[in-house]
Amino acid sequence: MSALDDAQEEVKPDMTPMIDVVFLMIIFFICIDFKVLESKLPAYLPKDKGSQTDVVEPQEQLSVKIHVEQAGTPEYKHGGANQVNPNTGRAYRFSLVGHKVKWEVGPKPLYNLADVDAELKRIATNPASMVPDKETGGRKLMGCVIEAYPGTYYEDVAKTADACKNAGFQEINFGGGLGAK
Amino acid sequence: MDMSKLVQQNVEMDMTPMIDCVFLLMIFFVLVIDLSQKNLEDLILPRAVFQEADDKPAENRPIINVLQDGTVVYNKEVFYDPKKHGKNYAPIKQLLLDIRKLGLFNKTLHLKDEKVGSKMVPLVDEPILIRADKWTEWHYIGEIMKQCSQPEIAFWKVELALSEQDKETGEKNPDKGGQK
Repeated sequence: MSALDDAQEEVKPDMTPMIDVVFLMIIFFICIDFKVLESKLPAYLPKDKGSQTDVVEPQEQLSVKIHVEQAGTPEYKHGGANQVNPNTGRAYRFSLVGHKVKWEVGPKPLYNLADVDAELKRIATNPASMVPDKETGGRKLMGCVIEAYPGTYYEDVAKTADACKNAGFQEINFGGGLGAK
Repeated sequence: MDMSKLVQQNVEMDMTPMIDCVFLLMIFFVLVIDLSQKNLEDLILPRAVFQEADDKPAENRPIINVLQDGTVVYNKEVFYDPKKHGKNYAPIKQLLLDIRKLGLFNKTLHLKDEKVGSKMVPLVDEPILIRADKWTEWHYIGEIMKQCSQPEIAFWKVELALSEQDKETGEKNPDKGGQK
Protein backbone atom coordinates (compact mmCIF):
# COMPACT_ATOMS: atom_id res chain seq x y z
CA MET A 1 0.00 0.00 0.00
CA SER A 2 1.44 3.40 -1.02
CA ALA A 3 1.53 6.54 1.14
CA LEU A 4 -1.14 8.11 -1.09
CA ASP A 5 -3.55 5.19 -0.41
CA ASP A 6 -2.98 5.59 3.35
CA ALA A 7 -3.84 9.30 3.22
CA GLN A 8 -7.06 8.58 1.27
CA GLU A 9 -8.18 6.07 3.86
CA GLU A 10 -7.60 8.48 6.74
CA VAL A 11 -9.81 11.28 5.37
CA LYS A 12 -12.79 8.94 4.80
CA PRO A 13 -15.47 10.32 7.20
CA ASP A 14 -17.67 8.12 9.39
CA MET A 15 -21.22 8.95 8.28
CA THR A 16 -22.97 7.04 11.09
CA PRO A 17 -23.36 9.91 13.62
CA MET A 18 -24.52 12.30 10.93
CA ILE A 19 -27.17 9.84 9.72
CA ASP A 20 -28.26 9.30 13.34
CA VAL A 21 -28.68 13.02 13.87
CA VAL A 22 -30.55 13.42 10.58
CA PHE A 23 -32.96 10.61 11.56
CA LEU A 24 -33.49 12.22 14.94
CA MET A 25 -34.33 15.54 13.31
CA ILE A 26 -36.68 13.91 10.78
CA ILE A 27 -38.59 12.10 13.52
CA PHE A 28 -38.73 15.25 15.65
CA PHE A 29 -40.12 17.44 12.89
CA ILE A 30 -42.59 14.84 11.62
CA CYS A 31 -44.00 14.34 15.11
CA ILE A 32 -44.12 18.00 16.07
CA ASP A 33 -46.37 18.75 13.08
CA PHE A 34 -48.99 16.23 14.24
CA LYS A 35 -49.69 18.21 17.38
CA VAL A 36 -52.21 20.91 16.66
CA LEU A 37 -52.33 23.39 19.49
CA GLU A 38 -55.69 23.71 21.12
CA SER A 39 -57.09 26.83 22.66
CA LYS A 40 -60.07 27.32 24.90
CA LEU A 41 -62.99 29.59 25.46
CA PRO A 42 -63.71 29.87 29.18
CA ALA A 43 -67.43 30.14 29.84
CA TYR A 44 -68.41 30.75 33.42
CA LEU A 45 -71.90 29.47 34.07
CA PRO A 46 -74.32 31.14 36.47
CA LYS A 47 -73.46 30.17 40.06
CA ASP A 48 -76.86 30.99 41.45
CA LYS A 49 -78.99 28.45 39.62
CA GLY A 50 -81.38 26.79 42.03
CA SER A 51 -79.16 27.45 45.01
CA GLN A 52 -80.49 30.64 46.44
CA THR A 53 -83.69 32.51 46.93
CA ASP A 54 -82.33 36.05 46.50
CA VAL A 55 -83.70 38.10 43.65
CA VAL A 56 -80.93 38.53 41.07
CA GLU A 57 -80.72 41.95 39.52
CA PRO A 58 -80.94 41.76 35.73
CA GLN A 59 -77.72 42.77 33.97
CA GLU A 60 -77.57 44.76 30.79
CA GLN A 61 -76.17 42.53 28.06
CA LEU A 62 -75.77 42.70 24.32
CA SER A 63 -77.78 40.00 22.60
CA VAL A 64 -76.11 38.26 19.64
CA LYS A 65 -78.52 35.83 18.00
CA ILE A 66 -77.55 33.23 15.43
CA HIS A 67 -80.23 31.90 13.07
CA VAL A 68 -79.92 29.34 10.32
CA GLU A 69 -80.29 30.93 6.91
CA GLN A 70 -79.59 27.80 4.89
CA ALA A 71 -79.13 24.30 6.30
CA GLY A 72 -76.05 22.68 4.79
CA THR A 73 -75.65 19.28 3.19
CA PRO A 74 -73.40 16.71 4.88
CA GLU A 75 -70.57 15.57 2.61
CA TYR A 76 -68.62 12.43 3.49
CA LYS A 77 -65.03 11.92 2.37
CA HIS A 78 -65.07 8.33 3.54
CA GLY A 79 -68.02 6.07 4.25
CA GLY A 80 -71.52 7.48 4.52
CA ALA A 81 -74.32 8.42 6.87
CA ASN A 82 -75.08 5.85 9.58
CA GLN A 83 -71.88 3.93 8.76
CA VAL A 84 -69.29 3.18 11.39
CA ASN A 85 -65.56 3.38 10.74
CA PRO A 86 -64.26 -0.06 11.80
CA ASN A 87 -60.85 1.43 12.72
CA THR A 88 -62.21 3.92 15.24
CA GLY A 89 -65.59 2.45 16.14
CA ARG A 90 -67.11 5.89 15.56
CA ALA A 91 -69.41 7.17 12.81
CA TYR A 92 -67.71 8.54 9.70
CA ARG A 93 -67.08 12.27 9.82
CA PHE A 94 -68.81 14.69 7.46
CA SER A 95 -68.23 18.28 6.39
CA LEU A 96 -71.22 20.56 6.09
CA VAL A 97 -71.40 22.21 2.68
CA GLY A 98 -73.52 25.28 1.99
CA HIS A 99 -74.40 25.95 5.63
CA LYS A 100 -75.26 29.62 6.11
CA VAL A 101 -76.32 31.56 9.17
CA LYS A 102 -77.42 35.10 9.85
CA TRP A 103 -76.79 37.10 12.98
CA GLU A 104 -78.77 39.65 14.93
CA VAL A 105 -76.46 41.90 16.91
CA GLY A 106 -78.90 43.77 19.09
CA PRO A 107 -81.74 44.53 16.66
CA LYS A 108 -79.50 44.67 13.58
CA PRO A 109 -79.57 41.71 11.14
CA LEU A 110 -76.19 40.86 9.59
CA TYR A 111 -75.30 38.29 6.98
CA ASN A 112 -71.54 37.79 7.23
CA LEU A 113 -68.98 37.51 9.98
CA ALA A 114 -66.97 40.57 8.86
CA ASP A 115 -70.05 42.76 9.38
CA VAL A 116 -70.68 41.14 12.77
CA ASP A 117 -67.08 41.88 13.71
CA ALA A 118 -67.42 45.54 12.66
CA GLU A 119 -70.75 45.98 14.46
CA LEU A 120 -69.43 44.43 17.68
CA LYS A 121 -66.38 46.72 17.56
CA ARG A 122 -68.64 49.73 17.01
CA ILE A 123 -70.76 48.79 20.02
CA ALA A 124 -67.73 48.02 22.19
CA THR A 125 -66.22 51.46 21.56
CA ASN A 126 -69.51 53.28 22.19
CA PRO A 127 -69.45 54.92 25.66
CA ALA A 128 -73.14 54.02 26.03
CA SER A 129 -72.10 50.33 26.22
CA MET A 130 -70.35 50.88 29.54
CA VAL A 131 -72.21 49.61 32.60
CA PRO A 132 -71.50 49.98 36.33
CA ASP A 133 -69.01 47.44 37.69
CA LYS A 134 -70.24 46.29 41.09
CA GLU A 135 -66.89 44.74 42.03
CA THR A 136 -64.67 47.74 41.39
CA GLY A 137 -67.24 50.53 41.62
CA GLY A 138 -66.11 51.83 38.24
CA ARG A 139 -67.51 51.14 34.78
CA LYS A 140 -66.95 48.23 32.43
CA LEU A 141 -68.03 47.07 29.01
CA MET A 142 -71.36 45.24 29.15
CA GLY A 143 -71.35 41.49 28.65
CA CYS A 144 -72.79 39.77 25.62
CA VAL A 145 -74.99 36.72 25.35
CA ILE A 146 -74.81 34.46 22.31
CA GLU A 147 -78.15 32.83 21.57
CA ALA A 148 -77.80 30.00 19.08
CA TYR A 149 -81.07 28.99 17.47
CA PRO A 150 -81.95 25.41 16.43
CA GLY A 151 -79.85 24.10 13.55
CA THR A 152 -76.75 26.12 14.42
CA TYR A 153 -73.44 24.37 14.91
CA TYR A 154 -70.50 24.71 17.27
CA GLU A 155 -68.52 26.32 14.41
CA ASP A 156 -71.08 29.17 14.18
CA VAL A 157 -71.00 29.81 17.93
CA ALA A 158 -67.20 29.57 18.17
CA LYS A 159 -66.69 32.05 15.34
CA THR A 160 -69.20 34.45 16.92
CA ALA A 161 -67.54 34.14 20.33
CA ASP A 162 -64.20 34.80 18.66
CA ALA A 163 -65.59 37.99 17.08
CA CYS A 164 -66.94 39.09 20.50
CA LYS A 165 -63.54 38.52 22.08
CA ASN A 166 -61.84 40.42 19.24
CA ALA A 167 -64.18 43.37 19.77
CA GLY A 168 -63.18 43.53 23.44
CA PHE A 169 -66.09 41.81 25.18
CA GLN A 170 -64.80 39.98 28.25
CA GLU A 171 -68.04 38.49 29.58
CA ILE A 172 -69.41 36.13 26.96
CA ASN A 173 -72.43 34.10 28.00
CA PHE A 174 -74.47 31.52 26.17
CA GLY A 175 -78.22 31.55 26.05
CA GLY A 176 -79.76 28.14 26.43
CA GLY A 177 -83.03 26.37 26.01
CA LEU A 178 -83.50 27.10 22.34
CA GLY A 179 -83.59 23.39 21.55
CA ALA A 180 -82.89 21.24 18.53
CA LYS A 181 -84.05 21.81 14.98
CA MET B 1 -0.74 -13.51 23.39
CA ASP B 2 -2.43 -16.73 24.44
CA MET B 3 -5.60 -18.11 22.82
CA SER B 4 -8.02 -17.11 25.64
CA LYS B 5 -7.07 -13.39 25.37
CA LEU B 6 -7.63 -13.46 21.61
CA VAL B 7 -11.16 -14.88 22.09
CA GLN B 8 -12.00 -12.18 24.66
CA GLN B 9 -10.97 -9.43 22.23
CA ASN B 10 -13.13 -10.85 19.45
CA VAL B 11 -16.41 -10.93 21.41
CA GLU B 12 -16.23 -7.24 22.48
CA MET B 13 -19.34 -5.50 21.14
CA ASP B 14 -19.73 -1.96 19.85
CA MET B 15 -22.72 -0.63 21.80
CA THR B 16 -22.97 2.69 19.93
CA PRO B 17 -25.54 1.70 17.23
CA MET B 18 -27.73 -0.01 19.81
CA ILE B 19 -27.72 3.07 22.05
CA ASP B 20 -28.50 5.21 19.00
CA CYS B 21 -31.47 3.00 18.15
CA VAL B 22 -32.72 3.04 21.73
CA PHE B 23 -32.58 6.85 21.81
CA LEU B 24 -34.39 7.06 18.47
CA LEU B 25 -37.15 4.78 19.73
CA MET B 26 -37.42 6.67 23.01
CA ILE B 27 -37.77 10.03 21.26
CA PHE B 28 -40.30 8.58 18.82
CA PHE B 29 -42.52 7.16 21.55
CA VAL B 30 -42.22 10.21 23.80
CA LEU B 31 -43.43 12.42 20.98
CA VAL B 32 -46.10 10.13 19.60
CA ILE B 33 -47.59 8.65 22.76
CA ASP B 34 -48.70 11.58 24.82
CA LEU B 35 -50.55 10.08 27.76
CA SER B 36 -52.40 13.30 28.46
CA GLN B 37 -54.15 12.90 25.10
CA LYS B 38 -55.77 9.57 25.95
CA ASN B 39 -59.11 11.19 26.79
CA LEU B 40 -59.27 13.05 23.51
CA GLU B 41 -61.42 11.84 20.65
CA ASP B 42 -60.30 12.54 17.09
CA LEU B 43 -62.37 15.64 16.40
CA ILE B 44 -61.96 18.68 14.19
CA LEU B 45 -62.37 21.67 16.46
CA PRO B 46 -63.42 25.10 15.23
CA ARG B 47 -60.53 27.49 14.69
CA ALA B 48 -60.38 30.56 16.89
CA VAL B 49 -57.90 33.41 16.71
CA PHE B 50 -58.53 35.47 19.82
CA GLN B 51 -59.14 32.83 22.50
CA GLU B 52 -56.80 31.67 25.26
CA ALA B 53 -54.14 29.08 24.47
CA ASP B 54 -54.65 25.82 26.32
CA ASP B 55 -50.95 25.24 26.87
CA LYS B 56 -51.13 24.87 30.65
CA PRO B 57 -54.34 22.91 31.27
CA ALA B 58 -55.51 22.45 34.83
CA GLU B 59 -54.42 19.15 36.30
CA ASN B 60 -57.22 16.55 36.64
CA ARG B 61 -59.52 18.54 34.38
CA PRO B 62 -62.36 16.26 33.20
CA ILE B 63 -62.73 16.20 29.41
CA ILE B 64 -66.10 15.53 27.77
CA ASN B 65 -66.03 14.79 24.04
CA VAL B 66 -69.07 15.40 21.82
CA LEU B 67 -69.05 13.72 18.42
CA GLN B 68 -70.72 15.12 15.30
CA ASP B 69 -73.97 13.25 15.91
CA GLY B 70 -74.13 14.42 19.54
CA THR B 71 -72.71 11.25 21.09
CA VAL B 72 -71.08 12.08 24.43
CA VAL B 73 -67.82 10.23 25.08
CA TYR B 74 -65.82 10.27 28.30
CA ASN B 75 -62.58 8.28 28.63
CA LYS B 76 -63.33 6.53 25.32
CA GLU B 77 -66.69 5.28 26.66
CA VAL B 78 -70.02 6.36 25.17
CA PHE B 79 -72.42 7.72 27.81
CA TYR B 80 -75.07 9.37 25.71
CA ASP B 81 -76.12 8.30 22.24
CA PRO B 82 -78.78 10.51 20.66
CA LYS B 83 -80.06 7.62 18.53
CA LYS B 84 -80.66 5.55 21.65
CA HIS B 85 -81.50 8.16 24.28
CA GLY B 86 -83.12 10.88 22.17
CA LYS B 87 -84.20 13.78 24.37
CA ASN B 88 -83.54 11.85 27.56
CA TYR B 89 -80.45 13.66 28.82
CA ALA B 90 -80.37 11.76 32.14
CA PRO B 91 -77.20 9.81 31.12
CA ILE B 92 -75.32 13.12 30.70
CA LYS B 93 -76.47 14.26 34.13
CA GLN B 94 -75.47 10.92 35.66
CA LEU B 95 -72.05 11.09 33.99
CA LEU B 96 -71.40 14.56 35.42
CA LEU B 97 -72.60 13.46 38.86
CA ASP B 98 -70.26 10.44 38.71
CA ILE B 99 -67.30 12.59 37.60
CA ARG B 100 -67.97 14.94 40.48
CA LYS B 101 -68.43 12.15 43.04
CA LEU B 102 -65.31 10.26 41.98
CA GLY B 103 -63.25 13.44 41.70
CA LEU B 104 -64.21 14.57 45.21
CA PHE B 105 -63.56 11.08 46.59
CA ASN B 106 -60.12 10.87 44.94
CA LYS B 107 -59.42 14.49 45.84
CA THR B 108 -58.77 15.36 42.19
CA LEU B 109 -61.66 17.81 42.37
CA HIS B 110 -62.27 20.28 45.17
CA LEU B 111 -65.23 22.31 46.33
CA LYS B 112 -64.82 25.99 46.99
CA ASP B 113 -67.35 28.20 48.71
CA GLU B 114 -68.31 31.10 46.48
CA LYS B 115 -70.43 34.03 47.53
CA VAL B 116 -73.67 33.96 45.60
CA GLY B 117 -76.01 36.74 46.61
CA SER B 118 -76.01 36.66 50.39
CA LYS B 119 -75.07 32.96 50.72
CA MET B 120 -71.88 30.91 50.42
CA VAL B 121 -72.43 28.09 47.93
CA PRO B 122 -70.03 25.14 47.38
CA LEU B 123 -68.95 24.95 43.72
CA VAL B 124 -66.42 22.73 41.95
CA ASP B 125 -63.24 24.77 41.70
CA GLU B 126 -61.70 22.85 38.78
CA PRO B 127 -62.78 23.53 35.19
CA ILE B 128 -64.39 20.99 32.89
CA LEU B 129 -63.45 20.93 29.21
CA ILE B 130 -66.02 20.28 26.49
CA ARG B 131 -64.51 19.21 23.17
CA ALA B 132 -66.88 19.05 20.24
CA ASP B 133 -66.49 18.72 16.50
CA LYS B 134 -66.99 21.96 14.57
CA TRP B 135 -70.03 20.38 12.87
CA THR B 136 -71.71 19.28 16.09
CA GLU B 137 -75.11 20.86 16.62
CA TRP B 138 -74.84 23.49 19.33
CA HIS B 139 -77.82 22.25 21.34
CA TYR B 140 -75.86 19.14 22.42
CA ILE B 141 -73.12 21.34 23.87
CA GLY B 142 -75.74 23.67 25.35
CA GLU B 143 -77.36 20.68 27.07
CA ILE B 144 -74.07 19.67 28.72
CA MET B 145 -73.56 23.25 29.88
CA LYS B 146 -77.09 23.30 31.23
CA GLN B 147 -76.44 20.12 33.21
CA CYS B 148 -73.11 21.50 34.49
CA SER B 149 -74.89 24.49 36.00
CA GLN B 150 -77.29 22.34 38.04
CA PRO B 151 -76.69 22.91 41.78
CA GLU B 152 -76.04 19.21 42.51
CA ILE B 153 -73.29 19.16 39.83
CA ALA B 154 -72.02 22.76 40.06
CA PHE B 155 -69.24 22.68 37.47
CA TRP B 156 -69.41 26.39 36.82
CA LYS B 157 -66.02 26.78 35.12
CA VAL B 158 -66.71 25.34 31.70
CA GLU B 159 -64.12 25.55 28.95
CA LEU B 160 -64.93 25.02 25.28
CA ALA B 161 -62.09 23.56 23.25
CA LEU B 162 -61.05 25.37 20.11
CA SER B 163 -58.12 24.96 17.78
CA GLU B 164 -55.42 27.19 16.39
CA GLN B 165 -55.68 25.28 13.13
CA ASP B 166 -58.72 24.06 11.22
CA LYS B 167 -57.77 20.51 10.24
CA GLU B 168 -60.66 20.41 7.74
CA THR B 169 -59.68 23.46 5.69
CA GLY B 170 -56.01 23.66 6.71
CA GLU B 171 -56.41 27.28 7.84
CA LYS B 172 -54.00 28.32 10.57
CA ASN B 173 -53.90 31.31 12.84
CA PRO B 174 -51.76 34.14 11.43
CA ASP B 175 -49.11 34.06 14.17
CA LYS B 176 -48.30 30.45 13.22
CA GLY B 177 -47.36 31.40 9.70
CA GLY B 178 -50.64 30.43 8.07
CA GLN B 179 -53.31 32.58 6.49
CA LYS B 180 -56.29 33.85 8.34
